[in-house]
Amino acid sequence: MESKIEAATGKLVVKKVGGKSTVTRCFSKYPLKFIIPNKVGSSETDAVWVYTLTYGGGIVSGDSISCEITVADACTAVLTTQASTKVYKSLGSKSSEQILEAKIGSDALLAVIPDPVTCFSTASGRHESGEKWDFELYRSTNHIFLEGDQPLFLDSVLLEQGNITNIAERMQDYQVIAMVILLGPKLKQIQIQVQENVRRMMSEQLYLPSTGLRPHGKTQSDHFLAKPSFVVSCSAFGPKGIGIVVRIAAMTTESVYRFLQHQLAGMETLLGVSPYS
Amino acid sequence: GRLAPGLRSFHVGGPPEASTEANVSHGKEKQASVELPLHWSEWQLLDSILPTGGFAHSFGLEAAIQARLISSPDDLRTYVIHILENTGSLLLPFVCTATTSPDLETWHKLDRMLDATLTNEVSRKASTAQGSALLRVAASVFTEVPSLKKMREISLNFGDVAFHHAPLFGIICGLLGLHRGTSQRAYMFITLRDIISAATRLNLVGPLGAAVLQHQIAFVAEAMLKKWKDRAVEEACQTSPLLDTVQGCHAYLFSRLFCS
Repeated sequence: MESKIEAATGKLVVKKVGGKSTVTRCFSKYPLKFIIPNKVGSSETDAVWVYTLTYGGGIVSGDSISCEITVADACTAVLTTQASTKVYKSLGSKSSEQILEAKIGSDALLAVIPDPVTCFSTASGRHESGEKWDFELYRSTNHIFLEGDQPLFLDSVLLEQGNITNIAERMQDYQVIAMVILLGPKLKQIQIQVQENVRRMMSEQLYLPSTGLRPHGKTQSDHFLAKPSFVVSCSAFGPKGIGIVVRIAAMTTESVYRFLQHQLAGMETLLGVSPYS
Repeated sequence: GRLAPGLRSFHVGGPPEASTEANVSHGKEKQASVELPLHWSEWQLLDSILPTGGFAHSFGLEAAIQARLISSPDDLRTYVIHILENTGSLLLPFVCTATTSPDLETWHKLDRMLDATLTNEVSRKASTAQGSALLRVAASVFTEVPSLKKMREISLNFGDVAFHHAPLFGIICGLLGLHRGTSQRAYMFITLRDIISAATRLNLVGPLGAAVLQHQIAFVAEAMLKKWKDRAVEEACQTSPLLDTVQGCHAYLFSRLFCS
């Protein structure tokens, strides 16, 4: 697959050297930096961890940060961020973007485990009450292609303030959205477990409210009628369901971290360390 | 010769042939050709009585109720509007492209792409169920368009065509001679029609209230159409991740009336 990013901010290549996954090429330019510790986790696990860092701790308008990574056959690489990515708005802003393009070989594994992207409506970055989802536009695109550019997973979420619907209204009281994609035969066991866990969690949360549609009044059992603070669903995708996608809407970031920690704990054997632990 | 816009002529009981005048018989055909204004086919296509199984789907409304996201008539109205916006942003590009190029190759390409785009298993299955039913019905009903039956048979033989709803709706409209403006508006209409219908069956609103709501929301639906119409499929995106997450929970409902 030819590189579509002309002047990438960062490039990484992971190949087997002496039988171990190794970063054989590492290039980055301002504002992107890579940190590659010598050892992360158990020495029995073959996995290389790369931390990405953005100078200034955030993205400001007009920034375009692109990163290409190639993971060669049978290698394992983990791409993660050092802290949550903060996007700040400034006056007269253009939109900013982050792009990751990854090429993954056969029997290889790439785990992308970023911390959340937080959008602030004020340049100072302080999160004031009443400013929830108070940004103009956020687009998140995740496309996965099989060999021969066959589309496997085409996901694009656009949150844009509109004159008919605003974002806060669409998101209601949920402050956090997240998506987890688990794809490939190496993750089969975790996929099965996650699907089962999500089904069990949500089955308890979904029930017919005993009262019907009520006009604006309050009832005595308001807590019974309260929305779940954490909503999650899991879908299989691809031929023979080789992938699953988990979507989350939650009221707190902490609850999402807890969920990810718990569901992805089984990845420790593949990655050396459990993600989000 | 060119047909007048909105008219399609066909021979009763015979294959369609180009004909510029009503009541002209060709060769051995004894029966006169009849020009049927397109409205008849268009209205039949949009009538909820057409047996396409649309009544089995609630667009995530049933799951939203059980997640207590809908607890007032205002909530219902808001929900419908958000679903319409998402229909515009995600599906109208497929309807549009299919209407403009209603050929087998375009259809298959759109079908594959939508299959990868509908990552929510619940809505993906609903789409294939409705699309299959729609094509089957259309092939039987609109016999003056033999390519419908042909395309269906070829695709069933291929085995890996998903028969997604939006591209097929566009294809059928295109082959019937409808313009892409009409087909995209029609797609918004049938979506609104089906959610409102689901809302009455879920006892969120009575039949008269539903009719009132449908007309009120039509103004919003038209605005959504103007915003999202005539875009390329590469731009397709979803605008309501919360509703997508909730709809994905449909399979976890203990008791349910609907398939999705």
